[in-house]
Formats: sequence, structure tokens, C-alpha cells
Amino acid sequence: MKKIIIALSIIASFSSCTDLDLNPLSEGSSENWYSNESEINLSLNDLYRQYAWDIEINWRAERMSDNWSQRQTMNDYAAGAITSNWSVAELNWESLYKAVSRANTILENLKKADNTVSAEKKLQFEAEARFMRANAYGRLAFLWGDVPFYTNTLSIEDAFKLGRTDKKVVIKQVYDDLDFAAKNLPKSYAANQLSRATKGAALAFKTRYALYFKDYSLAKEAAKACMELNQYSLYPDFGEYFKSSTRNATETIFAIPRSTELGEELSVKNFIPRTAGGSAVAQPSWDLFFSFYASDGKPIDESPLFDPKKPFENRDPRLKETIVEFGSEFLGYIYDPNPYATTVLNTSTGSMVKNNDTRAVDTYASYNGLSLKKGVDADWSDDYNADTDIIIMRYADILLMYAEAKIELNELDQSVADAINLVRKRAYKDAGAYPIVTVSNQTELRKIVRAERRMEFAWENRRLDDLIRWELADEALTIDNYGFLDPAALKSKIVDKGLWVFPSTPQIDDNGLVDLKPMFNKGQIKKLATRNFNSRQYLWPIPYKEISINPNIKQNPGY
Amino acid sequence: MKRLTIPLLLFGGLISLQAKNTSHYNLHSNHSQQFALIGDFPIKIVDENGFGIADVQVYVKELNQSFYTDINGDLNLETELAELTLNINFDGYTSLEQKFSTTSPIQIALQPQQTNSLEEVVVIGYGTAKKKDLTGSISDVKGEEIAKRNVTNVSQALQGSMPGLMVTRSSGSPNASATIVVRGITSIGDTSPLVIVDGVPVKSIDDVNANDIEDVTVLKDAASASIYGARAASGVILITTKRAAKGKTNIEYQNAMTWITPTTFPTTVGAKRYMEMMNEFAWNDTGNAKGSEHSIYAQETIDNYNNLNLKDPNSYPLTDWKKILLKNSAFKESHAISLTSGNEKSTTRASISYDNMGEIYANQHYKRLMARVNNTYKVSNKLTADFDMSYVYSKEESPNINPIWEAIRFAPIYAAFWEDGRIGDGKTGSNAYAKLHYGGTDDTWKDIMNGRVALHYEPLKGLKFSAIVAPNVSFNKRKKFVKQIPYYSPEDPNVFMGYMGGFASTNLAEYRTDEVALTKQFLANYQKHFGKHSLNALIGYEDFYTKNELVKATGDYFELMDFPYLDLAPTDYQQASGSAYETSYRSYFGRIMYDYANKYFIQANIRYDGSSRFHPDHRWGAFPSISAGWAISEESFLKDVDFLSYLKVRASWGQLGNERIGYYPYQSSINFSNALFYMGGQVVSGTTAAQVNYAINDITWEVTETKNIGLDAQFFKNRLNVTFDYYKKQTSDMLLELEIPDYIGFENPQQNTGSMYTKGWDFSVSWRDKINNLKYGIALNISDSKSVMGDLGGIVFDSSKAIMAGGQYKEWYGYIAEGIYQTQDEITNSATLNKNVKPGDIRYKDISGPDGVPDGIISPEYDRQLLGGSLPRYLFGGTIDMNYKGWDFAMTVQGVGKQNAYLTPELMKPFQSAWTNPSGIIDGNYWSVYNTPEENLKAKYPRLSNVGAENNNYETSTFWMTKGAYFRLKNITLGYTLPSTLTDKIGVASLRVFASGNDLFSIDNFPKGWDPEVNYNTYISRSFTLGLSLKF
Repeated sequence: MKKIIIALSIIASFSSCTDLDLNPLSEGSSENWYSNESEINLSLNDLYRQYAWDIEINWRAERMSDNWSQRQTMNDYAAGAITSNWSVAELNWESLYKAVSRANTILENLKKADNTVSAEKKLQFEAEARFMRANAYGRLAFLWGDVPFYTNTLSIEDAFKLGRTDKKVVIKQVYDDLDFAAKNLPKSYAANQLSRATKGAALAFKTRYALYFKDYSLAKEAAKACMELNQYSLYPDFGEYFKSSTRNATETIFAIPRSTELGEELSVKNFIPRTAGGSAVAQPSWDLFFSFYASDGKPIDESPLFDPKKPFENRDPRLKETIVEFGSEFLGYIYDPNPYATTVLNTSTGSMVKNNDTRAVDTYASYNGLSLKKGVDADWSDDYNADTDIIIMRYADILLMYAEAKIELNELDQSVADAINLVRKRAYKDAGAYPIVTVSNQTELRKIVRAERRMEFAWENRRLDDLIRWELADEALTIDNYGFLDPAALKSKIVDKGLWVFPSTPQIDDNGLVDLKPMFNKGQIKKLATRNFNSRQYLWPIPYKEISINPNIKQNPGY
Repeated sequence: MKRLTIPLLLFGGLISLQAKNTSHYNLHSNHSQQFALIGDFPIKIVDENGFGIADVQVYVKELNQSFYTDINGDLNLETELAELTLNINFDGYTSLEQKFSTTSPIQIALQPQQTNSLEEVVVIGYGTAKKKDLTGSISDVKGEEIAKRNVTNVSQALQGSMPGLMVTRSSGSPNASATIVVRGITSIGDTSPLVIVDGVPVKSIDDVNANDIEDVTVLKDAASASIYGARAASGVILITTKRAAKGKTNIEYQNAMTWITPTTFPTTVGAKRYMEMMNEFAWNDTGNAKGSEHSIYAQETIDNYNNLNLKDPNSYPLTDWKKILLKNSAFKESHAISLTSGNEKSTTRASISYDNMGEIYANQHYKRLMARVNNTYKVSNKLTADFDMSYVYSKEESPNINPIWEAIRFAPIYAAFWEDGRIGDGKTGSNAYAKLHYGGTDDTWKDIMNGRVALHYEPLKGLKFSAIVAPNVSFNKRKKFVKQIPYYSPEDPNVFMGYMGGFASTNLAEYRTDEVALTKQFLANYQKHFGKHSLNALIGYEDFYTKNELVKATGDYFELMDFPYLDLAPTDYQQASGSAYETSYRSYFGRIMYDYANKYFIQANIRYDGSSRFHPDHRWGAFPSISAGWAISEESFLKDVDFLSYLKVRASWGQLGNERIGYYPYQSSINFSNALFYMGGQVVSGTTAAQVNYAINDITWEVTETKNIGLDAQFFKNRLNVTFDYYKKQTSDMLLELEIPDYIGFENPQQNTGSMYTKGWDFSVSWRDKINNLKYGIALNISDSKSVMGDLGGIVFDSSKAIMAGGQYKEWYGYIAEGIYQTQDEITNSATLNKNVKPGDIRYKDISGPDGVPDGIISPEYDRQLLGGSLPRYLFGGTIDMNYKGWDFAMTVQGVGKQNAYLTPELMKPFQSAWTNPSGIIDGNYWSVYNTPEENLKAKYPRLSNVGAENNNYETSTFWMTKGAYFRLKNITLGYTLPSTLTDKIGVASLRVFASGNDLFSIDNFPKGWDPEVNYNTYISRSFTLGLSLKF
């Protein structure tokens, strides 16, 4: 036995020296990556991961806008409380530049891959990488203004030499990239191919950025080209379009899918009413609620149809698809925030249950009584996870952006009205009966198209962009957020006096902003939280780290 | 006095007493009477003062057997031989071998060893040496000191045991580990020391059974550690496990029962104050309008809450979360049994220990079995072999929630149970009780097997070749089974209300990790004494390879709740993933130790290391060291100084390397992930690939150069021992994750950049003496180190800390607080972080701006600065031990002399979440609109506000710094060994019972309810142990 042990150990000891040339086992090596079509494909796939689109996910942008109400707290951005270590800016900055860097790496390596990738494929790959880079730079320039800019791969030494490049140069590259992408990307993908960026998407994002950077004629041209692809159409049912039962509709130009089966879903408990088992943490704001037009196409303060006691009636149909109507059935219960409605009907069992959607029963029920409806369907409350598409670009946006560009160019032709009417007509479903927009003057049409955007894109992350580019944030985000009075006062001052739901009709100004102050001054509503936007925030702060380590980077003014 | 009689089995040999014959218990049973009594030979063994010594090994050469003295030092041999050769061995005394006539009783007085502790043989890298021959800086602690602490993990037991060792606990769980840092931090990377067990590197010090440890040696300076070259920069801990001695068969059994409670626990405000403070919190953030003070909880609700609770507990719950989530104490039982046996040809020591412990909350159990067999075989006079195996099995069962945080902070007004006893909704589905009891389990199994085969061949006297192969196989299995927890309406058990947060579906995640490692060593050692010269030389080769592979598989939406197996998950919701890595190194090393006349010592080491982590061109590094010592006391001019027993001065210089920086740092690997796409209308997952890290191709070793001077002195006949070391370390080419601009699009890479300077000292003093029957010892150690960063070529930010040139390692980084704003005027006339600062918020100093002068705005980039080191200073530990007849007593204290501690927001923020109860110490001490201006001037904490909290008050600043020094009574043990006169009767060689307490009290400056070592979401444990140890 011992001899065997000895023999074995001697053999083991001397048989070999261990090898020091070890390479990653479960990862690829960058030394020889990007060498063939499938490796480049995999690298491009990375840009479709959610990190590259962070602000478009989980209503991240919407939270900062005046469409959002969250109990008695206020988002740091809307509260005017952000500094250069604001985590949202840090995260987006980092993620967007990751996308830039990865796109650049692909582009640079494509040049080397002459022999292994066909010329046609190469063009498509290049187009796709440039499409992704353009989106990242477009977002960066829009939020931060002048930003560090490079189109090749960057060494650390070179990176430290970079300062901020004039926004105009960056934007020029965005347009060039998107033009190239629009020229070389396919219109669509075959059923056996992964659906990736398309020609239409390139045109659409060009429209968006051109509009954001006020290059209206570029925006108009790109939108027009996108419309002329005849690739997209509005989904017939506005409410259904956003639900997880509707996927990859023809209205969608660019979206990132989610799938519970594949482990990508969004936790939505905070947005579900409490009787249905949610936590009702955040809701659409009253500002948003009142900004939906009446069904005659007029703002509520101008329309005889609006009745503050029945505020859901005679409104643009998108209201009821965006915000749960009081007294309607929602996720299996009647939704009713009235403080006297201490029980509500469970529509599946027919029994009455405790109504946790009024603060008279549950302290943490919605503070403004509202609850999100857009996109919410029964599969949200089964496990409080949703796997709806992350829609980043859809055809309705193209139509309204087209209209807006034309209006800003003062090219007020019928195509402007047609574009808006197309969107509005779908909202009303019934083709005949909807408040048709007619060509009037620039001011009037601008007001209409802006209101239309707010109704159409509520809780789709577009409001923040619009507030910034319309330079409206310093007005909209200095209006306080309001909600119902606390239960006892709500009963005695409002409901008992027959003033439920709202005691009066608020005034809406030319910018579509709602004035609730008179009601507040009368003690009829409660201030939930203060919005205190600081005008320095029109440009986001550059993360402090970038400034601390690189003297070439200067902070945006005011921080 | 009863004589101990041992029948000597010289005839017959038929009796199966072989196994017992080395024990000294009395065989006065029946069969002993079968033998004729031949003759008594009483022996008494005494110490230098004439007191009998128990347990002295007396080896009788003629019989090839060992015997032991009883508690009084007596031993009676019965023999027919006229003369016996006795070989007497006892720790601390000079050995003796002499022939004695058996005709008359003898008394043998043993002489204490001259330079006792310096004569001790200690383990050094790849060998052993006498302490007095050492020229480097090492510390050691005996295994029994570690075993005495009765903690589950060896890492915890080292706290306070030696100078220069920083041991930090961060949790009180019975099986919690602790972090060990040797002589301060000299690297940004992995600073945990290299752990070597019996010459073989292991992953964790905690995989060794404390009862198996003979001793622990820490190599602190470069001279002693550089034989481990590349991996030694953070110090080396050498553990030697116990082996059997020749001619002794023993069985030992130890049992300990331990009760564990938190040292202290934070207090919170009650239901009434929670609601009032919550109202104030909201009121402050909505502008303090008159009439809206009670916007969340109506005043009448608050005032009548107890009555409302009695009438309608479902709507007005009152829950004592701490009481329902936590138990008063956790219980742990430990058993250890060991067997030693040996003869001329082979010796064996085998041990098994078993620990079983709970937690202070339900459903948490930890069981561990550790086994070790150490064998030594003597094949011939020239060839010996070791064959060692150790095995560790552990199983940890955990609930899917650690409820400590909830127990500390969950507000009482949320329901754990409805009135009828069903589980309540907590705070809309965050009922920690339900999650703890019904949420499923997260179980981990570990199997670790270490083997070691060593061959030692000694062709000539003094020349020894050794070949060692040590495989390590470990397997880790984890099953996380989350069970769906629905909750129902308080009125109607059929009305579904929702699922507990995180427990909406039943799902299972299975993890399997397996790892193999193989260490191979080949050593040649040569020792030679000629005249006054003594030489010891070593050359060696070592290589190491390890591979680790992980498989993870998950399934979701299980229909059934009782089958935690993946095949029960719907196939649509099954997923799998995996990863693997491997790493290896090769090393060549050598050492020469030389001394002349035991006066002048010199030692030199070199190690040449190659690592798979680096590019072939930058792979190899050489790490030399040299040290010298001078035993001044041996010189003639000091020989006659009476009080001085020994004095040696030492000096050393050496270089050490560090390479622990991920597995493939020079290769910018491509990381894979997934993204979702539509394909033909279906959602599919596509593999994605991206280079995440920026690779620096020429990345190579980080080098730490250490200079050490020290002295060892003994006074008053070796009773007083003093050791002092002073060192300077310089780390260069430091592996640093320097911040690079985020716009480069890569994670911060590891680079060789910058330098770091560390200075420090270790001091230990001990006194050991004996007064009549009282033996006692007092030891104290204290050490300090401070690291200052040199030019780094950049900065590293680590949330509240920063590493930058001129600062300390991980120094606090934040604003300078200037108290609390009392009025709006003060705010208007000063710089603020944002527009929302209000009276009651913390005021910060405007230090600078873009132009280098204060700019009227507080900004993160210009107004934060270094606020002082975060690491503890002046670490100290001390022990007192006493032995009096059968009694033994030991006490250990430990602490930190100075530390800039930070009261984290998790501890201080009143509403970490809306449902968390504010800490009791805040109440009455915060700035409030309800206070008078005079009261507010005295306020210690800022106002209650979400806006203020999120964006101003809890930023890292001097406001939350506090003095972190503490003194702790670490361990106190009292034991009693029963007189052998009693134990002999039951056939037991020795029986000791003991009681001990760990962490019984501390003196510190922290707010009430917080332990100086605590992390915010855990506790530090205090334990009481009762135990016994039996020897057969």
C-alpha cells in the first residue's frame, strides 16, 4: 500500500509542470473577436440590451415630469434637488457611452473583417452600429449639450485628453450616422431573422433628434420619408396597443421586447391599486388628468362638456385608457377612491370587499385618487410583473412629429391637420365622430399638437423630452403636485357638500398647464409635494467623477 | 495518597491491553490480579520548585511504552527488571534520558528550558526553525488558545491574539466569518493573507477545525514571507495541524454548548411616535402649512391607537416585530473527538468534529462536520511519508429572508397577523414573519476535501528531499426555493389580496460549483553544523493549478409548493447558465540561513514566480529578501547582566508580490449576455457579446518592499518577554482600479500605477511566572499602521471613501459640516447643494469652485475633501491566564484605540423607507418646527424630511463622524480539571469542565444600541459556553 502511495505521488509530482498559458473558458477573447459574421452579430446584439436604453425603461423619464404623482414625495429632478452626483445622470452617462464605445469598436473592427464578411453584410452591420451610436450621441447631446465625442476606439491616454465637443458637431454626426443607417438598413426582417433596427427606425430617430435639436426641415423630411415607407400603421385600438397581449404591432417602429418566459419582466406592484393587491405608490398626476381635452376637442376650461363632478365624462377617450375611471371595473374590482366607499364589489365573486383604494380605509391608497390604466391588463396583478414591449418609437410619434416640424416651419398645409387627425381618429375609434383638427394659425396648431402629444404619449417617457425642448420645464415643474384632502376633511369639505369629485374646473393656460392653486387656496385640495425645478437642470450635470479626474471637462453652468 | 499501579505486561502478551497500555489509568480490575506483582518502582516527577508535575510522558525504553504521571506527579511502575531507561519529556522542560535502578523510589526534578519560548520550534515557509534563529518578524499562537475561544470559525478566534493582525467581524451569526488583514492594507486588491495549512495553500482559514490546530504562525515581514513570493504581500498565515507522537494512544472528547445573544440591539420609537414623526416628515416636505399637520395619520387615530387596536386590530394593528421575528438566543452544540496513536513505524491522529447551530431567528440552521486524518509512516530510516486527508461537510439552511433589519426597524402599525391568526399583509405584502416562515428555503451544502501526500527522503544526515502532492476538491451546492405567499383579506379568508413582495411565484434556483486544485512541491533541505557554524539551505519548486466551474439552472412558476426539483417547473420557465475559470502558477525558490555561535544570524530568500494571470512577457517576477540578527546578550559584555536573559536585534529587507486581480486581466475578454428580439412575431433571446473591460496588456506584479527592524528580549530568567518591530512598506506598481473617464465606455481597469507608503509597529509584552501552585501569565499586544497614498496618477472613488494622493487608503471623503441651519436667512446667505435646503438641514462649507475659490454653490466636485482615515488604529489585545491546582482561568480583551467611525444613514436616517421605524436615539434630539429656537440650537440631528434627507443631510460629511475606539472583554474562561484520584475510578485520564463567555461587554462611544463592530443590518453576538473535555 505504502509503495503504491509513494509511486503515485512520485508520478504525480514529476509528471508535468502546470501550464501557465490559460485563456478565459466561458468568455471570448477580444484579441481575435469580431473576426466573422456571427461574432459581429453577437456584438451588435449587445446594443439591444436594456442598458443602452435605460431612460426609456420603467418610466424613468416620466418620473421626472409633471405627469407623475408619488404620494408626498417628489422626484429629485422635479424637486430641483439634483447635483453632479445625481445617480440618474451618472447611470445614463455611463450606459450611453458604453453603447458609443461598443458601436465604435464594432465599426473599427469591421474594417479588418474584409475577408470573412460579405460587402453587403458589412454595409448592413455598419449601418446598424452607426444607428446605435447615433441614438446614444443624440441622447447625450440632448441631455448634456456639449459632450466628449469620438468615433474611433479610444485609449485611456486619449480619453484623458478629451474635452467637450460642440453639440453641433455631435449632432452632425448623429444625422450622418442615421442617414447612413436609413440608406443601408433593410425595411424589415424575414420571419427567420432576429428583428433588428430598420430603415424606418433610422428615419424615425432622425426625425426625433432633428426635432429635439430644432432642425425642423430635417425632421420634416425624415418623418415624411418614414411615412412614405408605408411600413407602419396605427394600431386600431389605442387601449389594447400597450398591453402585453398586443406585441410587435405594425405601429411599433422600435421596441425592445420583454418576456416572462425569458426572464425579462418589469415589477409593477407600485402601480397597481391596493384593493387589487398592489401598493399604489405612484400614479398619473392631476396635471396630466386635467390636460386631456374634452370630447369636443377643447381644453376642459373652454368646453361646456366638462363637468368637474363627472370629470371622466365627455373627455378625449384616451383619458379612460390612461387613467382608471372612478366606478369602473379594474383588475377584478370596482375602482373607487370616494372616502365613503369603504367597500367595493369584487366583480369575479360578486361579494363586497374592503375598499383599500380610498385613503379613508387605507392610508396609503392613491393620494390623488388616480391610478394608471395605460398598458395595465389582468396579467399585471397575477404576479405584479409585466412583460409588455418597451416601445421607444411608434408611428403615432412620427405623425405628430411631422406635424410639429411643419408647424414650426410655418408650413401649415392640410398634411399637418391630416397627421394630427389620423392620431386623434384612432383615439376615438369611430371614424366619423371625433373633433377634427383644421388648419388654423401657427400658435393655435402648436398648442393643439403639444396637447395632442401629452394625451397620446402620457407615461411613455416623452413628456420630459418635450418639457425640455419646449423650454417649459421651468413653468411646468414649478407647479406643485396636488391631491385629495385627507379623508376626514375630504368628507366634510368636499363630499358632504356635494363637491365630489372636484369642486370646480381648473384653468388651463396656453401651454396646457393646469392651475389648481385657486382650489388649494380655498382649502379644497391638498398639496402633496413641491416641484421646484432649477433652470440649470435644462442641461443635466456631468457626473462629478468625470470632472474630478479630467481637468478638460467643465461642468454645465449653475452646478 | 493513592498509588497508581500499572501492571507491566511482560509475559503472556495475550491480554488485549495494547490499546490501553500507554494510558496511565488504573487497571485494578479483575484481570490485573491474574499477574504476580513483581515489584514497585515509584517515581515522582517534580518541577524546579519541587512540585509534582502531572501528565509527564515517561517513555520506558526497555518496554517500548509510555506512561504518564498523575496530577501529583506520581507514577508507579511495576517491573521485574533491575534497571529501566526512562526518557522523560515535558513541554517547557529539558528532556531527560537516563538509566535508573528500580530498587528504590526516585524523585526526578525537571529543569525548565533555558530560553523557553525562544527554544520553541516554529513553522516557517517550507520548514521549521527555532524562534531564536529567526531574523524576520513572525507571531504565533498555540492551537489551544484558538480552541479556547469556542467560536465556529478560526478567523474570529484570531481577534486580539497577536500584534499586527486586524480581525474585523461584520456579523454575529454563529457561523459568521471575519476578515483578517496583516499589518495594515498595502494593496487595493485582495488584502486577505495567504493561508497555508501544513505547507499547502488553502482557500479559507475557516475550513480548518480549531481543535486540529497545533499552532498558527503569521509571517509578517518580507524576510519571513518572501519565500511565498508573489502571493505573500498581504502576509502569510501558516497553520500546522496536530500529529500523533510516537508511543501514545489517546482518545479525547470535547463537548461545548453555547448560547448566543446579540451584544446589544437598537431601540426604536413606538407606534405613537412613529405616526407623529411620519406626519411631521410629510408636513415638512409640503411646506408646513397650517392645518395639514396630520396628513397621514389623523390626530385622533394617534391618540386612541391602543383603543382602536383593541377594537379593530385588523385595521389598527400593533405588532412587536422584534418579538415575533427574533428569539431570545440561539443555541450551538459542538462535539469533537480525536484519536492519536503511534508506534515506531507509523503514527496516526484522526479527528472528527461536529457543530450544529441555530440562529436568533427561525429556520436558520448550520451543521458542519469536519474530519481529518494525519498519518506519518516511517518506511525506513531514510524514508518517511505523510498521508493526510481532511474533509469538511457543511449544510446551511436559511429562510429566504434575513429578518434582522425588519426586526430592528419595521413599524409596529403593520399587521403580522390578522385577528383570526392568519398572516397579515405587513405593509402591503412585506410581512417579514410570513416570508420567514412560509417563504421557502435557501440551502447551501459544501464539501471540501483536502489531501496531502508527502515523501521525505534523507539520503545523508542533514540532507532531505521532499515531494508533496496536495489535491483539493470542493463542491458547492445551493438550492434556493422561493415559495409563493398569497395573503387574503382580514374579513374574508377567500378574498385574495395579493402576494408577499418577492414571493409572487414559486421558483427554484439551483447552483452547482465544483473546484479542483492541485499543489505540487519539491523541496531539498540541507542542514549542517560545523564548529560554531550552522547552515540551513533550502531549494524548492512549487506549482499550482485550479479550475472552477459553475452551473446555474432556474425554474419559475411551479404549480406545486413541496417539490423543489427543476423537473416540476413548466418548461417555458426553465433556464440555465454557466461559467468557468482556471488559474495557475509556477515557482522556484531558495533560502539560506546561517548563524555563527548562536550570535550572528543571517538569512536570505529568493522566489521566482510565474503566473497565468499575466501576459507571457510580463509573467515572471523575482522576490528577494535578506535579514540579519544579532543576539547581543550572548556577547561577553552582556553575559553577566543578571536581569537580562536574552536580547536580539533584527533587521530585514525584502520584496513581495501581489497578483490577485481577477483571472485574465491582461486579456480583454468578451462577456456574453442576452437580449430579446422579435423573430417572426415570437420573442426570442439572442446571445450578445461585448468587451466590458479595458485590458492593459503589460499588467504585471505589484511589488511591496518592506523594511523591518525589531528586537526580542527576555528578562528575569525568561519570565518577561518583549518583542518590538517597526516597519516601513512601500508598494509600487500598485494594482489599482483607477477611475478612467466613464465616456471611454469600459469599466475601470486594473493598472500598475502609483505607490503607497505604510509605516507601522507591533509590540508585545508578556510575563509568565509561578507562585507556589499558581501559574500565571499576562500578555499584551498593540500595533499600529498607517498607509499614505503616493502619486497614483488618478483617483479611486468608493462611495463615501476615496483613494487619492496624499490621503490614506480608503479615507472618508465628503463635505465639512457646519452644524444645522436654524433660519431661512442663514440659508439665503450661504452656499447650498440645491434649492430645497430648509432650516433644520445640515449646512456645509463652501470650500472651492471651478476657479479654485468658493463659488457660492456646494457641489460634489469642488466641495468635498478627505475627512480622515477610515481604518482602525492602535489595535490591541491582551490575555491573562492562571492555573491553580485543578483550576484554570483565562481572560482576553481586545479593542481599537482610535478610529474615525461613520454613523451610516442606514442607522441614523429616520425613515429609510416609509414603513421603517425611526431609531430611538433620534427621538427628541432632532431639529423640529415644533421646537423652540433654543431647543433647536441644541438639536443633534437634522429635521425629518425626505427631500432634505435624500439630497442633503445624509451625504457623507463630518456631521456623521464619531469616535470609534472601543475596548471589549473578548473572552473569559474558567475551567476545572477533576483530580485524577476521582477520574481514575471511572477509567478517565482527565476530565475538565469549563464555562466561558465571549464579548460580554464593551466600552465605546457609539449611540446606545449599536455595537462598535456592527454593520447596520446585523448584530454582533455575545455567547456563553458550557463544556467538558475528556481524555482517555
